[in-house]
Formats: sequence, C-alpha cells, structure tokens
Amino acid sequence: MFLGNLESLKYFLPELAITATILLLVAAHVASKNRRSAAPALLSLAGVGASLLLVGLLPGGPGTSLFEGMVALDGFAVFFKALTALATIVVVAMSMDSAELKDKSQAEYYIFLLSVLLGMFLLAAATDIVMLYLSLELVSIPSYLLAGYLKGRARSTEASMKYVVYGATASGVMIYGFSLLFGLTGTTHIGEIGRGLALGKATLPMFLAAAMVTVGFGYKIAAVPFHMWSPDVYEGAPTPVTAFLSVGPKAAGFAVLVRFFYTVFATPDAAAGMWKFSSVDWPLLFAVLSAVTMTVGNLVAINQKNVKRLLAYSSIAHAGYMLMGFVLLTPVGLRAILFYLVVYLFMNLGAFYVVILVANGTRSEEISDYSGLGSRAPFAAVALSVFLFALTGIPPFSGFIGKVYLFAEVINRGVYWLAVVAALNSVVSLYYYARIVKVMFLEDPRESAVLPVPAFPRAMLCLLVLPTLVLGVYWEPVIRVAADSVKLLAF
Amino acid sequence: MMEPAAYLLLSGILFGIGVVGVVARKNALIILMSVEIMLNGVNVAFIAVGSHLGDVTGSVFAFMVMTVAAAEAAVGLAILIAIYRLKETIDITELNVLKW
Amino acid sequence: MLTEFATVLVFIVLGAATVALMLGVSRLLQPRNPTAVKLSTYECGEVPFGSSWVQFNIRFYVIALIFIIFDVEVALLYPWAVVFQRLGLLAFVEAFIFIVILLAGLAYLWKEGDLDWVRTMQETPPRKGER
Repeated sequence: MFLGNLESLKYFLPELAITATILLLVAAHVASKNRRSAAPALLSLAGVGASLLLVGLLPGGPGTSLFEGMVALDGFAVFFKALTALATIVVVAMSMDSAELKDKSQAEYYIFLLSVLLGMFLLAAATDIVMLYLSLELVSIPSYLLAGYLKGRARSTEASMKYVVYGATASGVMIYGFSLLFGLTGTTHIGEIGRGLALGKATLPMFLAAAMVTVGFGYKIAAVPFHMWSPDVYEGAPTPVTAFLSVGPKAAGFAVLVRFFYTVFATPDAAAGMWKFSSVDWPLLFAVLSAVTMTVGNLVAINQKNVKRLLAYSSIAHAGYMLMGFVLLTPVGLRAILFYLVVYLFMNLGAFYVVILVANGTRSEEISDYSGLGSRAPFAAVALSVFLFALTGIPPFSGFIGKVYLFAEVINRGVYWLAVVAALNSVVSLYYYARIVKVMFLEDPRESAVLPVPAFPRAMLCLLVLPTLVLGVYWEPVIRVAADSVKLLAF
Repeated sequence: MMEPAAYLLLSGILFGIGVVGVVARKNALIILMSVEIMLNGVNVAFIAVGSHLGDVTGSVFAFMVMTVAAAEAAVGLAILIAIYRLKETIDITELNVLKW
Repeated sequence: MLTEFATVLVFIVLGAATVALMLGVSRLLQPRNPTAVKLSTYECGEVPFGSSWVQFNIRFYVIALIFIIFDVEVALLYPWAVVFQRLGLLAFVEAFIFIVILLAGLAYLWKEGDLDWVRTMQETPPRKGER
C-alpha cells in the first residue's frame, strides 16, 4: 500500500530526528564562538542515539510504501538503518578521540557525517530510482568533503579530488543506466520496472542498463574494477572518516544493490530466489566479479606498508567475500551478506579504532611503527589482534561464522570454484593480517615509552571486542534477524 | 507525442563525449566539465522519453539531476581550489602522493 | 527504427557538409587585411588592456559557487509555484520547510563571512578555525 506524504511522516521519525540534529548543528555552529568545543559531538551522539531508538520503535511488518512509493518501510530497511546508525555512533566516539581532527572545526564535520547517515537511511529504503539517485548522491557528496577534511594536508586533499572524479563519473554512468530503464519501462518505481522488464524482450538494452547500474553500486561497495578510488581515499582521509567509509556507505551500497537487483531481477517465487532473464548468465557474471574483487584486494594488500592502506585493500577483499552471497540472489545467500555486515561492522571499526589510538601516540600509520606494541600498549595490541584474526576468519571469532554462512550457500548451489577461490584468498589474507600481529608482539620496539590508552577508548574497544567474540560462539539471534529482514524484502 | 530516437541518439553522443573527456583528459577542471556533459546527456534522455510517454516524471528526474549536478560541481570546484593552493597544478596525473 | 537512424545520419552528413561549404566559400572569397585594431579583443568599445588570463580574486569563485547552489535550489520552486494553488496548504508548508533549510545555509555563509565583498585584514574572521 502507498501512503501519502502526511501519513508517512510518523514512519519517518528516524530521518526527521537526524535532519533536526543537522539543522541544530548548523545553528550551533552559527551561534557559537568556539569551533573546537565538544558540544557538536555530544549533540550528534544524542541525535543519532535518538534516531536509533526511533528505528527500534518502527513497526517492521511486511512492508509499507511511504511518500507515494518513494521509500519503503520494511524489515530490510530497518535492519540497515540500525546497522548504519550504530556504525555512526562508534565513528562519532572515534572522532572525539582522534588527534587529527582535534583542531578542526567540529560542527561542520558532524554535519557532513550526519548528512551521510541520512543518505544511507534513505538509500537502504529507496524504492524509486529518483530517490535512489538522490540518496546515493547524499551519501557521496558529503563523503568527498569528509575525505578532504584535513584541508592543509596534501594527502587528504588529493584523496578528496580523486574521490570526486571517480564518484561523479560512476554515478553519471549509473544514472545513464537508469535513463535506459526508464526508457524501457516508462516508470521510476523499481517494482514496476521489474514487472515492465519481464514483459519486454529487449535483452541487450536491459543488460546494458544492468551493467551501468552495477558500475554505480560497485563503486559504492568498492568492488573491482570500480575500486580504484578506495585505497587512495582510505589512506588520505582522516582515520575516523576512513573507518566510517569502509563500513557505513559500504553497507548502504550492499543494501541498495540487494534491494535493486532482488526487486527487479529475482523471480517473484521467493523460495527459488533465482535470477530471471536467464538469457544472461547473471550468476557467472557476479561470481567472476566476486572472485576478482577478493583476489585483487588480498594480493595487493600483501605488500602494503601503511596500515590504513592495508585495511583499505582488505575491505575491498571483504566486499568480494560478501558478493559471494549475492551471486545466486537467494534469500539464504542474502541473509549471509546481512549477517556478515554486522560482524564486519564490529571487527573493522575496532581495527580502525586501534589505528587511531596508535596514531595519536606515534603520529604514524606505518606497519613498521607497530613494532613492540605488545609491550608498549598491551591492551590495544591484544584488541587489534582479535580484530585482525576475526577479519581473517579464524574459528573462535565471529568472522569465521560469517564466512561459513557465505561459503555454505555457494557450495550448496554447486558453485564450487568460487568457494575454492575464496578459501585460497582467506589463506592469503592470513599472511598479511598475521604479519601485523607478528610485528606487534615479536619485534623489538623502536621506542619503549608506554602508549597511554585512556579510559573512554578502552571502554569503546571492549564494547567492540565483545560482539566480535560473542558472535563467534552465539550467533543465533543475529542470523534470525537477518533472515527475517530478507524475508520482508517484499515487492 | 514525438519520436525519441533522434533525441536518444543525441543523448548517447553527449554521454559518449563526456566519458571520453573523463578518460582522456588530464586537467581536473575539464574532467569535471566532462562529467557535467555526461549528466546533460542523461537529462536529454530522460526528457525525451518522458515527453514521448507524455509523463512528467522524466522532466522531474532531469530537474533533480540538474540540482545534484550543481551541488557536485560546487563541491568539486571547492576541492579543486584547495588542491590548486597546495600544489599549484590541477593536472590529475600529478596527484601522486598516494600510490600503491 | 533503423530507417530513423538513417535519417539522422543524412542530417549529420548534410549538416557537416553545409558547415564545411560555408567556411570554405567565405575563406575563398574574403578579402584579408588584418590590422592591429582589427585583431584586438572587442571589449564593448573600450580600449582593451592586458591579457584575459589574469588571476581573479578568489572571492569570485566563492560567490559563484554560492550562486550556483542557491540558483538551482530556487529553480526547484518554479514547478511548485505554477501549481501552488491546486496543491493547497500541505505543499505550502513543505516548500516553506525547504526554504527554511536554504535559509539555514545562508545564515551559515553569512557567519563564515563568505558574503562580505569588502574585507579588511583586521575584520577577517578566523575562517573555519585553521586559517
């Protein structure tokens, strides 16, 4: 059912809360004299927290269409809203601890951060290509500014420039694909587009449109060959921003990828959950995309000397793993993606949190400067090891369970070669993740001074380590929520 | 209702010019302008199809694309100025602090 | 479909041929007598001075950027204004909220000092905290 504008508002409260917070931040910025006070950070924490609570109060249900079919309210959207809001809260906490951002204007930073969050909320829920394009740009444009937030620093500005060029081009290609879809079906609602395409026989334009749309989404999730921007941006951007970009927009990108292709290209028979238009071998195409993404990510990561850049390539590889769940477009596979995103949120944000804490003390992001961290800051070193082993996917940690679900669906459906490639990739990734751990514990420190880790980051790290460990042994509730969220992905 | 074929051809040509500009040029300013040409090609396609179908949605979409393109151009130019102040060049091949 | 493209092709060929013909004929027929005055840039009758590749004040860029944004955002109001009376109160409130958000942006620019054209060194506010 389609709700009108006024009736939709009461289901739109999380977004309204964020919008109100952004406007308050603008007002606070205009009114205040002190650009470096902690007030904007606390205000955004309160705003995002309130929004998260409101997301929790939203009725899930089989799905309502808000604003005359512009955005959907369903379990899938609620899942991603909760996920991205959670990531934003952690990133706000990180940003308060970051020395890089300390002497920058605070309110503007949080305005951009919350604008991206608002964009991600809408992106996860968009069911109309107009809305989809607008929300994708709402995610992208403030991200460009966030990447270049350290304005005097060449690395940061350069990252931002590259991000703009790649981002604008990718979204331009994507919207050309949208114009083809609009031309083929005469509608902008993705459900209608799916029905319209099913009637027609025009395979070539449809394939072209799908490929162009994939460019836009592939750029958001940093899948090879649309990943070129991500290592540069991840290295150049302030570390909290890197952490944010590697989790938030990536999750939102997966949300829109899944929603778009599931709505337009999956058969209505959800139990089969296979691709329609079998004249094109979609599973093979996406399997190759997935395999290439994880292989390039892992192989290039081996030689990295900068931790942020290494984590950037590792996050490309993880996008490849997650695409495994997308290959067959079955609800079971999509459930695995959702579960992996939850796990990935904690372990990746955790790893970046430690990188920030170390950089605060040593002013360096080089792996060689992590030598002896085990004795200089044992707590941070142990936490980082947990996150890195979880990212590798070693049994007691949550990353392992995430990978098991991703592998299971591919193997069940008989795409064995992809499972083999992914397994080999995991072995390669163990090499470079373990190298950092080795440097931290087995190499002699260059300096012996203790790196202080204050109480607040220590508590935050505990909060991130806990789910990483617990989800490795007790994951039932989360996988159930993920399964429900996919089930609710209706029309 | 008009025949959209010619307009779609025009839109394809504009889009192609934009893509070639993005890929082949080195000046960041020209690249940003090429992106704008791409988006204008998209606009032509939307308006042509919308007008062919007698549906105003196409024009609405074109309006939204224009708005976003303006925002993107503003942000892109601001970053361009920042990079020019730092490096005295906007040649994209000379942005090489970051590499693998 | 294919015949339509053929028409387009004929158009393109004819158009290109016409342009080539025009330029070629005028090239052949024109008298050529360049003088310094003829070659100079036309600047509304003024005597031109300097090259056009001078550095502009950076404030031109800022004002131009601001103009682009607000210009396009305000253009969004035209469709609304055309059907305003049929849409009623709800659309009015929506447009009002839209304008309030734009005003917040304007207030921000004002505070940042981006709207002041004349700015002496002493009055320059510490922009964005780091400059």
